[in-house]
Amino acid sequence: MDPVTLFSIIKGGIVLGALYALMATGLSLVWTTLGIFNFAHGAFIALGAYVAWQFSATDAFGWPLALGIIATSLVMFAIGAFLHLTLVKPFERRSDVVLITVITTLAGSAILENLLLVIWGPRSKQIPKMAEGELAIGGFHLAFSEIILLVLVLAILVGVGAFLRYSRPGRAMRAVSQNREAAQLLGLNVPMYFALVLGLSAVTAGLAGVFIGTIRFMNPAMGSEPLMKALIVVIFGGVARFSSPIYAAFIIGLLEAFSIYFVGLYWAPAVLFFTMIVVLLIKPEGLFGKYQRTL
Amino acid sequence: MRYDPPIHKTQGLLPLILAFAVLVLFPFVFEATYFRHVLILAFVFAIVATSWDLSLGYGGLFNFAHVALFAVGIYTYAILAKTLGFSPWLSILAGGGTAAFVALLISLPVLRLDGVYVILVTIAFGQLIYLVVVSWSDVTGGTSGMVTLPTLQIGDYRLSKDGRIGYYFLGLGLLAANLAFLYYVTRSRLGRAAVALRDNKYYAIARGISEARTRALTLMASAVFTGIAGAFYAAYLRVASPDAFGMGFLTLLLSILLVGGTGTIWGPVVAAFAVSILSEWLAGFGAWQNIVIALAIVLVVVFYPGGLWAALQELREVADNLRSSAIARLRRRETATREAMTSAQERMLQTSHGLISVADTGDADKPALLLLHGNSACKEAFHKQFRSFADSYRVISFDYPGHGVSANADPEQSYNISAYAEIAEEVLADCGVSEVSIFGWSLGGYVAMELTARDSVTVTALAISGTPPLNMVPDDFGRGYNPDSHLVLSGKQYFSRTEATNYANSATAPISEESAFLHRNLRRTDGRARVYALSRLGVIDWPRQMRILSEGKIPFAILNGSDDPFLNHDYIARLKYGNIWRGAPQDIPNGRHAPFFNQPDHFDLALFAFLEHARSLDMARQA
Repeated sequence: MDPVTLFSIIKGGIVLGALYALMATGLSLVWTTLGIFNFAHGAFIALGAYVAWQFSATDAFGWPLALGIIATSLVMFAIGAFLHLTLVKPFERRSDVVLITVITTLAGSAILENLLLVIWGPRSKQIPKMAEGELAIGGFHLAFSEIILLVLVLAILVGVGAFLRYSRPGRAMRAVSQNREAAQLLGLNVPMYFALVLGLSAVTAGLAGVFIGTIRFMNPAMGSEPLMKALIVVIFGGVARFSSPIYAAFIIGLLEAFSIYFVGLYWAPAVLFFTMIVVLLIKPEGLFGKYQRTL
Repeated sequence: MRYDPPIHKTQGLLPLILAFAVLVLFPFVFEATYFRHVLILAFVFAIVATSWDLSLGYGGLFNFAHVALFAVGIYTYAILAKTLGFSPWLSILAGGGTAAFVALLISLPVLRLDGVYVILVTIAFGQLIYLVVVSWSDVTGGTSGMVTLPTLQIGDYRLSKDGRIGYYFLGLGLLAANLAFLYYVTRSRLGRAAVALRDNKYYAIARGISEARTRALTLMASAVFTGIAGAFYAAYLRVASPDAFGMGFLTLLLSILLVGGTGTIWGPVVAAFAVSILSEWLAGFGAWQNIVIALAIVLVVVFYPGGLWAALQELREVADNLRSSAIARLRRRETATREAMTSAQERMLQTSHGLISVADTGDADKPALLLLHGNSACKEAFHKQFRSFADSYRVISFDYPGHGVSANADPEQSYNISAYAEIAEEVLADCGVSEVSIFGWSLGGYVAMELTARDSVTVTALAISGTPPLNMVPDDFGRGYNPDSHLVLSGKQYFSRTEATNYANSATAPISEESAFLHRNLRRTDGRARVYALSRLGVIDWPRQMRILSEGKIPFAILNGSDDPFLNHDYIARLKYGNIWRGAPQDIPNGRHAPFFNQPDHFDLALFAFLEHARSLDMARQA
């Protein structure tokens, strides 16, 4: 393998990893806080892409992409909080909440995806690239849009992390996720923070969707494959800390990039799923997780 | 022990035969191929959904790779019948075999995991199978799938001829076979073990159920007909495409399962027809089809977690309530007939538990004797005692709510032993009685003991029949009664004709001209009264009743039938009684569960002697 190929594989892996990190963060945030697995996360990704397209595409509203991204975030936040109230909150107190919400979020994702189809139609769309041109040093190529994507993703992740760690609402969210009853006793509005968490997770998913929309073609089902990848990442890394799915995302991104090179585009996902099953069998709490029998 | 008779002894048999007959006759009445096509798809969905119900509803295993098992059946047929040229019929059977084998593979990771991890690993497994199918395009045709698969034929007759009638009946036959298989499995040792593991895993394991083997076998059993249905589907449509793995198909099946009601088998069958007809009808609306189906899932889960099956049960309950209270209202007019039987005055009394019918011989100067009837009986069961005791006692009895000609009442509040005791207090207060002797029969025995323990009326004598006193519920239930008897029916809501006869025969008297009114009355009883009286046993302070008996301050007698089919006489004899009449429980020779009815002379003598004994004790104490 020559250095140029190696570089492009690693570059591809890191870009993938950054996208996976963004998706998996939202997923694991909901998982650790609400204790549920949100299958509508993939639909959030697609929805974010379409909403951003509506704001920024030249044949739609045609706003600048930065403005579009901010508007998308607001819309996604509202939709996430709304779906929490309709799909999760009614079952919060039931003992089988995990299994019920699997069903309701699956149904919610089917509703969202088909609404996308109804509203925007089946034709593939693409969000304008964030930047044209590329950086070329010797044989090594690096597109500006990729650099911007990496920087933005890292900034968002750091931002979310800092928000959770230092800001008052962020700390309240962590308190709610660590001990719901104690948080409630201390006067935190637990239902509101649950809605905020799902809103925040929808924002990260939507942003991931926007980035995917700038590099690939969009269709209403575009979220299902990233959802599966996010699932692999979350299981692979565990959810012990905010950062564990992020490390895992880059490992999985690189693993995917290398398996595409070695076993081909078609077999690469199979390698990932096989890895996931093996991890679930050997260390169900994830690579960076502490031992924890149930959720 | 749960009462679970085979289907040919329940009321489910007739609707089942009717539904099957309708489906057999359907293609001859409606000859449009399109209708048959929709029903063939419904058969396939019903098979897959009910099989899923076995692992998900009965086994509590959320196997999200179930749809992949269906796809495995499809591709098995495609590869064997087309690529390798095997007989299509053998390929269909092979579909079930490979699906079961894949289910065994799936069960390996599932054995180690619980809860949401089972969902995750099965989703991953389903995706893995999907990716293998899509990637291995030399064998499976990749994303474009395989077309022009061989069709099924018998001799030279192709099943698709004559408007696909062959496929219609093959599908119907497969559905019937699948239902028979699931019926057998859920009632077998394996099915019971799976349910036990679902309901209380650690208890089940402690009782010697192998979790690993049960889970693996449940998954395999749920795969067999799923795979066969997949192969049949492939043979029918002559296409194998990876769409079968898609979320759309998964959502459709999940909606069938949830709308029908998990853990019921029959619910998903009904729902399969409803949902596939609905989904065909919505097919013209494009994306709205999936939105409506997904909305239906959410609405059912939010508002009706039990699904269609629970809705049917509730409808049935409403209808049965209307029926039984209408009968009660009609029979209330026949006061004269009943008064002729008991020669006591009957009146209706408004109590805190609804309208109660009271029979009272009314001599205020005689000592009062309250008779409390048993489960699903009525106060006229004591008509012989009304006649023989009326000379020396003021005999009072009443119908419990939901029984006899009393009104039906709120099951939550009024169908339990405590409520019956409260009603007894209100009836006695209305009669102006504060001192009373009580005889309680069967369920009425517990009411009698509860009434005594509540201590708001002075009980001068307490006699029970057909009632083993209990200390620990439900454990003592198994000891005090003979579990092999028709007693298992005492908590059953709806009786089939055989069950009603069986229960009345054992609980009262074999049917004859004399006992016909008791048998007739059984069918009037509100079925909820049986269910709630048994499920609300916990509201009673049982040890308090036992203390009354062991302290022996109140004269107490047990007058059981010697041939009572419900009782464990040894248990009753072993208990400690402080002051039991003649030192031990008394047996009425040849008496059955209602000895006062089938051996009235013996019984009346014994009860009379006991009451006299109690009165003499009372007089001695007062002097």
